[in-house]
Amino acid sequence: MDLQNLNPSSLKSRFTARFLRALTEINAPKTISSSSPREIFQRYRRIKVAADKSMAYSVRSRRIWSRATLWRLRTRSRSRRLVSFGRRASVKTRTTASHGKENKEHHGAVLGVQAEELRELVPGGEAMDLCNLLDETAHYIKCLTTQGFCVYMGGLLCEGCC
Amino acid sequence: MLHRLESLESCNYNGMDVAVLEKQAAGLKWQQQNYVVQNSNLVDLCASSVPQFQGLFGSNLGRGQMIELKRPEVFLGSDDFQEFVNFPVAGPEFGDSEKLDLVPHEAAADYCISRTSSCQMTAHNTSVMKEEREDTILEKMESAIGSGKESFNKRKAEAVADHKSKGKRIKGEGESEVKAKCSTEISRDSSKENSKASEVQKPDYILVRAHRGQATDSHSLAERARREKISKKMKCLQDLVPGCNKITGKTGMLDEIINYVQSLQRQVEFLSMKIAALNSSVENLPMKEFPAYVANFPAAAKLPEMAGLPSYFQLNPLQKESVNCMLNESMLPPQTATEGIASASVSSSSGITQLQPFSAWNMDPQGLSNMYNMGFY
Repeated sequence: MDLQNLNPSSLKSRFTARFLRALTEINAPKTISSSSPREIFQRYRRIKVAADKSMAYSVRSRRIWSRATLWRLRTRSRSRRLVSFGRRASVKTRTTASHGKENKEHHGAVLGVQAEELRELVPGGEAMDLCNLLDETAHYIKCLTTQGFCVYMGGLLCEGCC
Repeated sequence: MLHRLESLESCNYNGMDVAVLEKQAAGLKWQQQNYVVQNSNLVDLCASSVPQFQGLFGSNLGRGQMIELKRPEVFLGSDDFQEFVNFPVAGPEFGDSEKLDLVPHEAAADYCISRTSSCQMTAHNTSVMKEEREDTILEKMESAIGSGKESFNKRKAEAVADHKSKGKRIKGEGESEVKAKCSTEISRDSSKENSKASEVQKPDYILVRAHRGQATDSHSLAERARREKISKKMKCLQDLVPGCNKITGKTGMLDEIINYVQSLQRQVEFLSMKIAALNSSVENLPMKEFPAYVANFPAAAKLPEMAGLPSYFQLNPLQKESVNCMLNESMLPPQTATEGIASASVSSSSGITQLQPFSAWNMDPQGLSNMYNMGFY
């Protein structure tokens, strides 16, 4: 298990920079008066997407989960644009689900149920065998903790600036 | 025998210098100790067979522990491998007798057989050891070993024919951490010709040993190797997920991991919701200094108590509605955390006065959900 290539300080700085940039974009056009629940909810979604995107971009394509996240975000945005034109784009994020299941049965994994749950949690985990899945999970956990920390600090910053 | 003695002597001289520099290059530590021993009991060494040598080893070094002549079967896969592995990792501790016990058995066996051929290499390496770090030494060793890899099998065959130990030996020169490259030998017992040696070409080796009475065909060995890898990774994960030290067993560990990942994801969602609800117009974010500040935050995993957090939870009615709206849209599954949020947003109107320290990044998942529940009174 190689977690040494994950340098927390550089990951944090990369992530925070991107996230702040995204935050300013999200917050800029907004006027203070309009704060309906709907809008707050929309803003929440955008912020969450910004956080995930920043995290995935900070990791680039080094990891399967980051690639899966980026792909998912891109296809989602693409599908949203298509939906606005009246078309329905079916985004298949589980294209390789069948392949993953085959692997599982072949290896006779005893921990099939939990591995399945883990696969649902970790983006892109559907196509991985247990070995790689555990690797990705470890890296993903590390990135999630950094992400949570940076979002929290960003929140403090926003709190302090308003 | 005489030839070996001579080579010993040549090594001893280097060993004298090296004994001063014991703190370095832990991969050669046991060899140094060999040299130290030989310095004092050179004559005895000549006449010693392997077990005697080991006994000498233990007594002369004054360790309180008797070196057990462990059967190689005990050295299974990852457990003892870890001990081997830890051996160079905790290098500078010279006085660690426990580790010494494990290696000399193999090392001594190694010693008797491969000493003549590899002594030159080790002598050279000990001399250069002063300037070089452990990993570069190991790289040299590996290159030296790798060059002779074609004759690897041959040497192994005749080596095994000489001594009866079953199972694997770790070549002393190539000993290193798990994460660094390990090169291992699998000895083929003359009496047990059917035990398979898992020849791995890639640098990261997993030791798989065939016990007595276990199947030794390629499938089961590959299966066992895979299981060893998985258990090794589970151990790494155990370090990452807090509060998993007591849990043994893969299923429990996986449950904990799943809970932890879920709580981390929920935490990020919650924090982003908080930011969205802040209603702040941020034009002048310190874009330059902030990332550096965040990056250099000391021990970022432990956050100080969020004294400012109470203000965050003073959700005005609008924000409470938004939270409810969010929950109604089933953004988050109805779990403990979100139920806590819902109850808090409904019940609290005057704000939160009391909060647990938000050291969420080091809390176990149970504690995390508890915190969510309790922090919203």
